[in-house]
Amino acid sequence: MAVSDLIRLLNVNPVYRTRLVHMKATEPEPARYGLLDSPLSHSLDAYLEQNGIRLYSHQCEAINHARAGKNVILTTSTASGKTLAFNLPVFSQLEAHADSRALYLYPTKALSNDQLLTLEEMATFTGIAAKPAIYDGDTPQSKRSAIREHARIIISNPHELHQVLSWHAKWQPFFSNLEYIVIDEAHRYRGVFGSHIAFVIRRLLRICRYYGASPRFILSTATLANPCEFARHLTGQEFELVDNDGSPHGRKNFVLYNPFYDGISERSLHQETKDLLVSCVKEDLQTLCFTGSRKMAELVAVWARDDARRISEKLAESISVYRAGFLPEERRAIERQLKGGVMKGVVSTNALELGIDVGSLDAVIISGYPGTMMSTRQQAGRAGRKGGESLAVLVAQANPLDQYFMHHPDQFFDRSHEHAIIDTANPYIVSGHLLCAAAELPVNEETDRQFFGESLSGLLSELESDDLLRRTSRGWVYTGRGRAAEAVKLDGVPGETFRVMCHGRLLETLDRGQAYREAHKGAIMLHQGETFVVNEMDLETHTIRVTETDVDYYTQPLKEADLSIIGTLETRTVNGVRCAFGDVDVTEQYTGYKIKRGDTIIGLEPLSLPALTFRTKAFWFILPESTEQKVTGTGLDLAGGLHGAEHAIIALMPLHVICDRWDIGGLSSPAFGEDGEPAVFVYDAYEGGIGLAEKAFGILPDLFSSTYELVRDCPCESGCPSCIYSPKCGNDNQPLDKDATRLILKELSREPETNGSCSPCTSGREITVS
Amino acid sequence: MLIRKMSAVPAPSRVGSLWQQRMQAVREYEVVRDGNAFGAGFSHSFVYSSEYEEARRYLDTLLSRYRGMTIGEQFRGKEIVNDGGTCFSLESRQDLSPPAFDLDRFRTDLIEDLTLVHGIGPATRKKLIARGYHSIPDLLEHPLLRSPANRVLACLSEGDTAAIMDMIGNRHAKSHLSVLGTAGLHEPEDYVFVDIETLGLFSRPIILFGIGIIDNGQLVVRQFLLRDIVEEQAALTATLEHFSRDRPALVTFNGKSFDLPYITDRLAYYGMASPVRIPHFDVLHFSRRRWKDQFPSMRLAALEREILGVCRNDDIPGQMVPEFYETYQRTGNIGPLVPIVEHNRQDVISLALLFFHLLGESYGSQ
Repeated sequence: MAVSDLIRLLNVNPVYRTRLVHMKATEPEPARYGLLDSPLSHSLDAYLEQNGIRLYSHQCEAINHARAGKNVILTTSTASGKTLAFNLPVFSQLEAHADSRALYLYPTKALSNDQLLTLEEMATFTGIAAKPAIYDGDTPQSKRSAIREHARIIISNPHELHQVLSWHAKWQPFFSNLEYIVIDEAHRYRGVFGSHIAFVIRRLLRICRYYGASPRFILSTATLANPCEFARHLTGQEFELVDNDGSPHGRKNFVLYNPFYDGISERSLHQETKDLLVSCVKEDLQTLCFTGSRKMAELVAVWARDDARRISEKLAESISVYRAGFLPEERRAIERQLKGGVMKGVVSTNALELGIDVGSLDAVIISGYPGTMMSTRQQAGRAGRKGGESLAVLVAQANPLDQYFMHHPDQFFDRSHEHAIIDTANPYIVSGHLLCAAAELPVNEETDRQFFGESLSGLLSELESDDLLRRTSRGWVYTGRGRAAEAVKLDGVPGETFRVMCHGRLLETLDRGQAYREAHKGAIMLHQGETFVVNEMDLETHTIRVTETDVDYYTQPLKEADLSIIGTLETRTVNGVRCAFGDVDVTEQYTGYKIKRGDTIIGLEPLSLPALTFRTKAFWFILPESTEQKVTGTGLDLAGGLHGAEHAIIALMPLHVICDRWDIGGLSSPAFGEDGEPAVFVYDAYEGGIGLAEKAFGILPDLFSSTYELVRDCPCESGCPSCIYSPKCGNDNQPLDKDATRLILKELSREPETNGSCSPCTSGREITVS
Repeated sequence: MLIRKMSAVPAPSRVGSLWQQRMQAVREYEVVRDGNAFGAGFSHSFVYSSEYEEARRYLDTLLSRYRGMTIGEQFRGKEIVNDGGTCFSLESRQDLSPPAFDLDRFRTDLIEDLTLVHGIGPATRKKLIARGYHSIPDLLEHPLLRSPANRVLACLSEGDTAAIMDMIGNRHAKSHLSVLGTAGLHEPEDYVFVDIETLGLFSRPIILFGIGIIDNGQLVVRQFLLRDIVEEQAALTATLEHFSRDRPALVTFNGKSFDLPYITDRLAYYGMASPVRIPHFDVLHFSRRRWKDQFPSMRLAALEREILGVCRNDDIPGQMVPEFYETYQRTGNIGPLVPIVEHNRQDVISLALLFFHLLGESYGSQ
């Protein structure tokens, strides 16, 4: 049974054939090996030889750069041996210099544990005294002192680092000898979270500088459109890029599979995914199936097993679900079974994407576009044992993004990688870390400018006037009563934190916006795949009380919004349309919520929550009069058209800019402001803005044209979840007019007619206060 | 999303006020129902709700009583200047005659404690006594034990307090009575009693340093107060000066876990040198050993009540010092400083009295 057999099945079977939209094959690639500029030590060479490893070109490139004292960013694929590319220079350094230290940062415990094992094994074999140890929130108090003193490789995470920096005096031996900082899965540090981490790293470098150390970075990320820029924003330093993958791979087949090929489908995504999984497993292909949620993973696994049981019990048992919440022993057991060939099909959430050592498999099924090309490639990258043929299938959901790809396969395969955005100028983020830095060491306005940017002086004065800093002869000293590292939360821009409690146990924390949106009284909340109902939201104590529940409905909040423009920072004309970028004030108020079962609304309840006001960045455009007339002239609904355009633009924005659907919001109006102009706004859903609208403003032509293509090519009659329906619309997807939307988007994405009614192209900076 | 109505909505634009708001919500103690000592969990610091309410009311009273007054008007002290800058220094005195220390009895106790010698446990000790070895010098006759016995005697005769404390502490416990007894190797003038008040549990400024020293039959309490955080360095410098006497002996209450590491951390923060290591007597440890079966609480406030019969008026819980000081910072009203200074002063006095009580109990001349 081979991959080619399954592919033939997909092409021949009548059911599968209709859904198979497109298939693309890439030719096999042999390994390309590299040369090291200078040889490794005897013990490291022996280690490679013992494990039958010959270094690939990209590994050599990375090692050469690292040993030459450069910062390196590696963007080769998941199974390309990146771990070795950073472990070798680190071990090399540790062997040659008895005092040297290295810090490894991982985003999850599972990865930290895996890396610890690898490092311990390497240390044992080579005899190099690396003494690797994990130091994080779970490390017992009694062990911490010994680890700080003796461990030469410390594995930790950014959250722990954030706390630990104020104790740097105890870390002196480690920080003063720090030579390497390894950050794996660095692309996770983007957006608001990434911007926070960027400052945690700057605080770390500042402390290293104080102790006389200047460590170099080795970053490992998924493929990005802007790797060097990203690395520079994350760390403040310049990097060498290694992106040419020298590892070998067999023939890779990528299939685009659309269960909603005719617009609507009778069967759910779960069932379609399950069918594919069972077919793969029947053909004896080891298959990994990624789904969007834990609940879905469990459903698919259960149904697949049921189907497989009709053939044999053994086949049923070879299918399992893999959860991030599993204990390490359970995970190890599954991984072993996969490696041993006993386990044939594993269903997981995207957690498995995070490089856990399950090796490579024959086939990968991706159920629903995971949101970024980066994730898609990482997941698909799990398919393909050395030299063997492999298969990856993307099963589309019924939403605009997925459907867009199904109808435009070339857009999918030619898709350039996304940009990872980090904003190092957001004052709310900078100020918090400035307070932390001041609590660690007095801040020097001159020498610390490199870490905090041009806004440093302004922020220092402002924080002083609020009694949080004082200027002394040693520098700016922290004088706040609260502990800075506690007040500065890395998961979001400052706002109060709400605690979600179930029977007195803390489940998670949310900021005010999330709390209002997802955890209002009566809301159904999902946490780690389990369902809870919110019984109470106490605004005074910031506590949300939930209990477990087992209902089949879910809730969706209704939102009203206001917006006012504070200042325009940039304008441009795109295809004759006036577009702008600037500061806006947004007020959102949740007025009620819908109770839904599937797609049916079974109830509506009111809410009384205070309004949320924040200032952020947005881009917007004003519809030209000619377009407006075209719409109203043909009897179409202007408001519905703008509304649909807004939804579609927001739906496709992640195609161009890395963001989560909750990171952006939108507003449209047929008569905005004093002039009553038809306008659409898209804003960053974070106080101060986070660079998303800004990035989108820069690529508006692409954004408009891809949105137009989406709506134009959608086979539905008058709008559907695949084009202009938004799952998070607070107005209940009313009013929407597909024809109007299509017309508007068409005008936005094409050259204006030369009949004298177009305005001259302008692009420049202008500040207007309205 | 359609816009329903247009209105200009103000949004918070100042980052500072946002952080101040967050700070207000941060509290490093829990307020629990009266009597519910376990409410906060074992690792949390707690304040009874009645104490909390009373202290908050007291704060309001102070703010109105002291409105418009300056530090100079209320506090009897002066500004001092040193390498670190300026700060405010207060001084108070009271009579205190330390109990006479029976040095002979202490020395005898030590040399008759055979188990101080490495290799001798309780069983071996019994056998040795039965065979006529009654003191460590006797062991110099013993072929096997001569050498370790010599080490102990050499340590004792050299007289380095810290070394002796370590030796005894390794053989017994660090809170053993004999360890306390080594304090008697010092003159009363050598003792430096220290208690600090801070803006939080760590990584925030120390706002008040309380030092106690014995001078001519009196306990002198010197306090270095920060009128502004910029004065912290000067206060640190002034405090450190007390560590550099001839044969200093540091005495604290929980100073091993809190005061000394805290001071060391603040010195490192300003790039100042760490204090030289001096013998340190932590009265909390000795108190615990002595009284843990008798009293439920080992807090200084509890012990001073039970043992010394001290009753404080208009006092505030130590955990609330940060918010009182912060109120002073914010408003400039010196009222909140009054109980802070007094609380600290009484802490130093009780610390000294408790220390001498323990010492006198065991090694006071009869």
